[in-house]
Amino acid sequence: MESRDETMMEKHRVHLRPITLRDAAPATLHLLPCEVLASRPAPVGRFFTPAIRQGPDGLEVSFRGRSLRGEEVAVPPGLVGYVMVTEEKLIGKQDFLGDSENNYQEEEREPVAAPEPLERDFDRFIGATATFSRFTLWGLETIPGPDAKVRGALTWPSLAAVIHAQVPED
Amino acid sequence: MDFSELENDNTGRCRLNSPVPLVCLKEACVLGVDEAGRGPVLGPMVYAICYCPLSHLADLEALKVADSKTLSESERNRLFAKMEEDRDFVGWALDVLSPNLISTSMLGRVKYNLNSLSHDTATALIQYALDQGVKVSQVFVDTVGMPETYQKRLQQCFPGIKVTVKAKADSLYSVVSAASICAKVARDQAVRNWRFVERLQDFDADYGSGYPNDPKTKAWLKKHVEPVFGFPQFVRFSWRTAMAILEKEAEDVVWEDLTVGDQESAGRITSYFLNEGPRTHLRVPHRYFVERGLESATTL
Repeated sequence: MESRDETMMEKHRVHLRPITLRDAAPATLHLLPCEVLASRPAPVGRFFTPAIRQGPDGLEVSFRGRSLRGEEVAVPPGLVGYVMVTEEKLIGKQDFLGDSENNYQEEEREPVAAPEPLERDFDRFIGATATFSRFTLWGLETIPGPDAKVRGALTWPSLAAVIHAQVPED
Repeated sequence: MDFSELENDNTGRCRLNSPVPLVCLKEACVLGVDEAGRGPVLGPMVYAICYCPLSHLADLEALKVADSKTLSESERNRLFAKMEEDRDFVGWALDVLSPNLISTSMLGRVKYNLNSLSHDTATALIQYALDQGVKVSQVFVDTVGMPETYQKRLQQCFPGIKVTVKAKADSLYSVVSAASICAKVARDQAVRNWRFVERLQDFDADYGSGYPNDPKTKAWLKKHVEPVFGFPQFVRFSWRTAMAILEKEAEDVVWEDLTVGDQESAGRITSYFLNEGPRTHLRVPHRYFVERGLESATTL
């Protein structure tokens, strides 16, 4: 897939702001079986949450006049959920400066060797805005159940860890 | 009418009924079916049955019940109160179908249209009267859709009962007029005491008649659009008026059951003839990732 990424879009180097992981507040998340073609704040607490009912087979609600059935999904043990946002502002001035003027904490800096110099339009920063250990997964008219895609997706980190682990020589 | 159950939860349906008059368990009865609030884009639809023994039909007619549409609200309330006084021979039952139930039925994966919903609700109410022991011998129904097919359907459901389905039955048969009054009184009360599920800000209760062609109703809808959630559940999302406003004033939503295949290939027919570079030889990710909806993140 790398080849496609290179040709189809600009390549970026993404840096995580570690301090944001510590400050992120817990959030309530809902994963809907649809895509809202916009990215904007939504009054979930006023419109959606008060409409949720406990039905005979799980949670019930509707969105845009369509019936949804939901269930809680826990983030697998050993993992933590974060809501990540790319910083709007491109690299700031302080990111180019040396240690003396860096306002961030010690762990902000890359611990491994000397970091490569940052480049405008190439380096991006992401930070966590919220954290979660569970979320509500909604299906269109039926409970998503054990076969839900996202449940499968949550098994990838543990599989990835195993297949990337060092194999003993013999 | 005691609407406490509906006020507790108005996201589904709710049934209310009078006690069954003893005489209706013994004597052959006529039963009328009618509805209120079928057309409005706001609020619930109410289906009602009303029944009385054939021997008391003249007493019901003496109340001068008429098609609820020709009566003022206070006249309807007065007539309903009279029917309550005559509870020793008049019985009724009704189903309140919430706007949320109507929207989710009509916008389901398998579309459940308003006519079918109406027919099934009417059938269930007649069956309910029978289950309560009412000796129904004749049923009169104000039609929804084609009277012939509706009558045939109901007649098949209730072979032992004489079923008459007619347009304007609510002005022809007093027992249907009585049902129409029950339905309309219930609908008005349900709308008046509607508890909005949402916590609305800057809410104004002046939504007019609720009919789509009422300028007041239209203005109210436009004012209460929420760009992500659309409308409060009080609105029937499946109504064309509501959909048209959402299309213009709210964010687009793409559902997973929508066939995206068409959009994907449309306009790209040229890709068969032109060399579009990397697009033509994409590396397809492994099935493991496709089945789990996983993609490499190139941006957030």
